[in-house]
Amino acid sequence: MSLCQNRLNEERKQWRKDHPFGFVAKPARLPTGAMDLKKWECAVPGKEKTIWADGLFKLEVTFPDEYPTKPPKCRFMPALFHPNVYPSGTVCLSILNEEEGWKPAITIKEILLGIQELLNEPNIESPAQAEAYQLFKKDKVAYERKVKAVVKENPTP
Amino acid sequence: MAIRDTYARQSLGKNLSGLVAKSKVLMVGAGGIGCELLKNLVLMNFGEIHVVDLDTIDLSNLNRQFLFRNEHIKQSKAIVAQKVASRFNPSVVIKAYHGNIKDSQFSKAWFRQFDIVFNALDNMDARRYVNTVCIALDIPLVESGTTGFRGQASVIKKGITPCYDCTERETPKSFPVCTIRSTPSQPIHCIVWAKSYLFTEIFGEGSDDVKELDYEADENDKDELDDIKKETAALQKIRKSIGTDSFAELLFQKVFTSDIETLGSIKERWSKQRPAPQPLDYQGLNADKSKSGAEEASQDQKTWTVKECFAVLQDSIRRLTDRAVSKKESLDFDKDDEDTLDFVAAAANLRSYIFGIDPKSKFDIKQMAGNIIPAIATTNAIIAGACVLQAFKVLSQEYKQAKQLAMFQSTDRMMLSHFEGPNPKCQTCSVLRTSAMIKKEATLQDLVSALQSTLGYEDLSLLANSQVLFETDDEDFEDMLPKTLIELELTSFITVQTDGKEDLVLTIEEASDADMNPVSLTSITIPDKKPEAPLAIEQPNGHTNGQSNGTSHRKRAASGDLPARPAVRVKTNDDAVIIDDEPVAVDDGPIVID
Repeated sequence: MSLCQNRLNEERKQWRKDHPFGFVAKPARLPTGAMDLKKWECAVPGKEKTIWADGLFKLEVTFPDEYPTKPPKCRFMPALFHPNVYPSGTVCLSILNEEEGWKPAITIKEILLGIQELLNEPNIESPAQAEAYQLFKKDKVAYERKVKAVVKENPTP
Repeated sequence: MAIRDTYARQSLGKNLSGLVAKSKVLMVGAGGIGCELLKNLVLMNFGEIHVVDLDTIDLSNLNRQFLFRNEHIKQSKAIVAQKVASRFNPSVVIKAYHGNIKDSQFSKAWFRQFDIVFNALDNMDARRYVNTVCIALDIPLVESGTTGFRGQASVIKKGITPCYDCTERETPKSFPVCTIRSTPSQPIHCIVWAKSYLFTEIFGEGSDDVKELDYEADENDKDELDDIKKETAALQKIRKSIGTDSFAELLFQKVFTSDIETLGSIKERWSKQRPAPQPLDYQGLNADKSKSGAEEASQDQKTWTVKECFAVLQDSIRRLTDRAVSKKESLDFDKDDEDTLDFVAAAANLRSYIFGIDPKSKFDIKQMAGNIIPAIATTNAIIAGACVLQAFKVLSQEYKQAKQLAMFQSTDRMMLSHFEGPNPKCQTCSVLRTSAMIKKEATLQDLVSALQSTLGYEDLSLLANSQVLFETDDEDFEDMLPKTLIELELTSFITVQTDGKEDLVLTIEEASDADMNPVSLTSITIPDKKPEAPLAIEQPNGHTNGQSNGTSHRKRAASGDLPARPAVRVKTNDDAVIIDDEPVAVDDGPIVID
């Protein structure tokens, strides 16, 4: 528990010192006014020169008590049209899977950068939603059109 | 003087038996180990024993919790244990509390009255809590646990022996939801699917309050399960047809035929190593009436064939539908409820057949689905005995003799023990601690001011329960300052951090003294922080308390029932047992209790 707490507070301080441009990551506020280190409100911008550019996508990142032994859960709020995002918004990414690529050394910055990377480079091996997956496979033009519409709905402020 | 005192004096010596008779101890938990331990403590003439347990007696306890009888079912464990054990020795005082040890009635001041605390608990959360309190208040704790034939008893004494948090504990396994939903590869995946998804979806609580439904967080990803619900509105429709003739068929066709066909159609997912699932055919299976579901269901040691699973499924659906429709029962999975178990066992096995996974017998599925950890009365009795021996070492202050004791199934030795010091990196026992006495009206501002003046800190941040409560340079927290600590529920522990100094953990204690300041702190020197990497990242098995982490590292039971990993590593090379850290001859006696 306190390992989790100390690590998250350290992550918070590191983020405040320095973070990639356009990204947002901040622990949520509880009704008491205290900051909840186990639940972060984040946002990932679409990469420049990709169809995701100019979009800013909100995420909720929740950390289990066993963090950093276990990975956090990242969930787009609202759910995002993307082959590797579950209808609930949960991101399916190898570095976020305890049985695959998760390592306790992975920082929040790396996670968010990884998610940004995933936006334009979906992993077709592990589809998480039917809509985006089918469109991506069968009709790239329609897929890109849809992505651009999603970007319009989530513009960079 | 009763005869039992004479015997205690003869066996323990005058000094120790006197200490025992004068001692005041707390026992947390009056279950498997607790019943045995209470009996031992009473018969050994421990002066005053306080017993806390929040649980009530259940029929299934009676095979091993020998203080309880049939007529006690549904009564408080602590109170019945007290009544029954009091008769064993009238000179012992026993006080019972039916409550949670984490309740505020068990304040720090209340804990301080005890010479020893015994943990006879069955869960990690309570163990951790008592451990932290005992470390903070420096009360010796005897920690124990059993799983099947394995057991463990150790003394936790601040600064001398490892505490409960000194070793990284394996947390219950959770399954990625994609595995459960689309790519099961083990029987347990299918069992979890049948129990937590299919059963709940069809017979469980209505979908409106599904969010609040406890999906056993240790096994499932609750949010994802909620989403499966969204995705499977079709299943909801089928649920509405419950009670009609076509219900069983619709359900079967959906989950064992069409869903499987959909999954199989995603070609990328399947390969030679992971062959695509094979849907089942309802009509074909239903045409064969040679199997009787009710009869097969009683064959719980046998692995059912597809046809037998089908028959049991049909039969259990009929029984469950009857209860859900005519009796309007809301059904929950319960391993002891045959109807629910039959449904889950049959559905899990059918899914196993579909995915080419080995099916399991109903008996096995009952264990896996019910998270049953075998509890054995003799193991509990041995460990409870060991706890008392450990307590003697505590009372005579022989902490170096208070070794970590582990018991397991072996032909050569039953018990192994060794001495080990605390983990210097432990976040519970190797951190700096001090007490803060607070009055009811003390505010966060009072605490901050007291810290600044007593410790000389200018900039500081306060953390508790993975919350940041305050940080000097951040005006976001200004509105927190006038709030009282009680209002903020900060009545246990608060971590104080500042740059360049070691963290300090405050034990918050309520004081009644009207004259004192709202917050009074014990003065303490804070050493400089040891140089560390910018991000203190600890590997899961990175502890280095003189013990390497090898392949023989024992996996812990999912419930955390066995509290500490047996400290001595054992390698079994066919017939020889080699103990890594302390060379011991293989044949020096079957049982060694140091």
